[in-house]
Amino acid sequence: MLRALRECSEARATLAHVWKGLAWLGLLARLVTGGVWIVAGALKIADPAASVEAVRAYQLLPWSVAEWVGLALPALELVIGLALVLGLFARGAAAISALLFVAFIVGIASVWARGIEINCGCFGGGGYDADAADQYPWEIARDVALLAASLLVVCVRRTRLALDSVLFDRRPDEPVEVAEGAEN
Amino acid sequence: MSSSSSKAAARAQKAAEMRAVQEKREARRRILTILGVVVAMIAIVGGAILIGKIQTDKEQDELEAGIPAIGKSDYGLVIGEEDAPHSVIIYEDFLCPYCGQLEAATRDNLAELAAEGKVRVEYRPFDLLSQMIETDYPIRAANAFAVVRDTAGDEAAKEFHDLLFERQPTEGDEDSYLTDDELVALAVEAGATEADVRGGIEGLDQEGWVDGATAEARESGVSGTPTVFVDGEVFQTGGGVDGLARGIIGAVD
Repeated sequence: MLRALRECSEARATLAHVWKGLAWLGLLARLVTGGVWIVAGALKIADPAASVEAVRAYQLLPWSVAEWVGLALPALELVIGLALVLGLFARGAAAISALLFVAFIVGIASVWARGIEINCGCFGGGGYDADAADQYPWEIARDVALLAASLLVVCVRRTRLALDSVLFDRRPDEPVEVAEGAEN
Repeated sequence: MSSSSSKAAARAQKAAEMRAVQEKREARRRILTILGVVVAMIAIVGGAILIGKIQTDKEQDELEAGIPAIGKSDYGLVIGEEDAPHSVIIYEDFLCPYCGQLEAATRDNLAELAAEGKVRVEYRPFDLLSQMIETDYPIRAANAFAVVRDTAGDEAAKEFHDLLFERQPTEGDEDSYLTDDELVALAVEAGATEADVRGGIEGLDQEGWVDGATAEARESGVSGTPTVFVDGEVFQTGGGVDGLARGIIGAVD
C-alpha cells in the first residue's frame, strides 16, 4: 500500500519533470518557427506584386484568389511569427502556423507531382527555376519539421517565457485587504 | 451574538464582495486585452493587403499607360490588319522558357485569327535575361532577328522569330544555345540570304537595335516575360501558360 503510493508520487514527479522539459522545448519550437515566419514575411512584404506572382506560379488557385492570397501571406506570416516569438496567443498562432505549413506542403508536393519547376517563393523570389525538382524534397522536409514544431506548441499549451502567462494566467489570489476599522 | 463576531462576519462579507469586484475587473481586462490584440493583428494584415492592392493596381495602370500602342513601337513586329477589332501585344525574350511555351500554344491560332482580320498582333522581342543569367544569347538572338528583318523584311523576320522559338535552347544550358552558324542557317531557312545576314549576325550589327528595344520595354515598365496586353490591358489568367494562351485566343476570337 505504502509502496504503491510512493511509486505513484514518483511517477507524478517524473511526469512533472517531463512536462517542465516540454514547456522549454515548446519555447524553442516557438522561437524557431516564429523566427522563420518573421524572416519569410519580412523578405516578401515590400514587394506585393512578386508575392502575388509567386502564388500564381503554383497554378493552384483561381487568378483573383491568388492575388488576395499573395497580398495577405507576407503580413500574415509576420504577424504569426511575432505572435509565436512573443508567446502571444501562442496556441492559436501555432495552430494557424500548422495549417499554413500543411497548405505549403500540399502546394509544393502538387507542383512537384505536376512537373512544374518553380522556386517555392517561400522567402521571396518565385517563378521558374531550373533546379526546382532537386529542391522540392528539402523544402517539404523543412516544412514538415516546422509543422511538427507548430503542433508541439499547440499540444504543450503553456510554453516558457510566453506573454500569454503574463496577460492571461489567473494571478494567485491577492489577499484582500480590509482595513481595520473600515466599518467605523 | 457578540459584537466582535458580527464584525468579523461583516468583514468577511466585505472581503467577498471586493474579491468578486476584483474578479469581474480581471475578466474585463482579459477580454479587452484579447480584443485589442486580435484587432491589432487583423489591422496589420488588412492594412498590408490594402496597401499591397493599391500598389499593385497602380503598377498595372502605369504599365498599361506606359507601353506604346499597337504599331507605335519602334521595335515591334506587327501582323494582321490595322482595322482588326482586337489587339495583342506580346513582350518576349527569345530565351525565356515560358515565352517559348506561350508561342507554341498561341502562334498558329494568332496567325490564323490575324489572317481572318480578327486581331492585330505585335511581337516585341527584347533582352530581359542576359543580365539575369549572364549569357549573351538573348542579345545575339534578338540581334539576328533585327538583321533578318532589316535585310529580308517583316515576313522573313516573323518566320525567323517562329523558328527561334521552335528551336529554343534550354535556359541555363550553355551548350544548347544556338551558335552564330546555327542562327545563320535558321535565317536562311526563314527566307533571308546568307550573304546578307552572316556579317550582321556575327558582328552583332544590330546590337543598338536590341539595346533600344530593351530600353523601350524597361522604360514602359515591362519587367518580365512574357508580358501580354490584350486590347491595351495587361492580360493575365490563372492556369499558367496554357491558361494564358487559352485566355488570349478566347478574348480575341
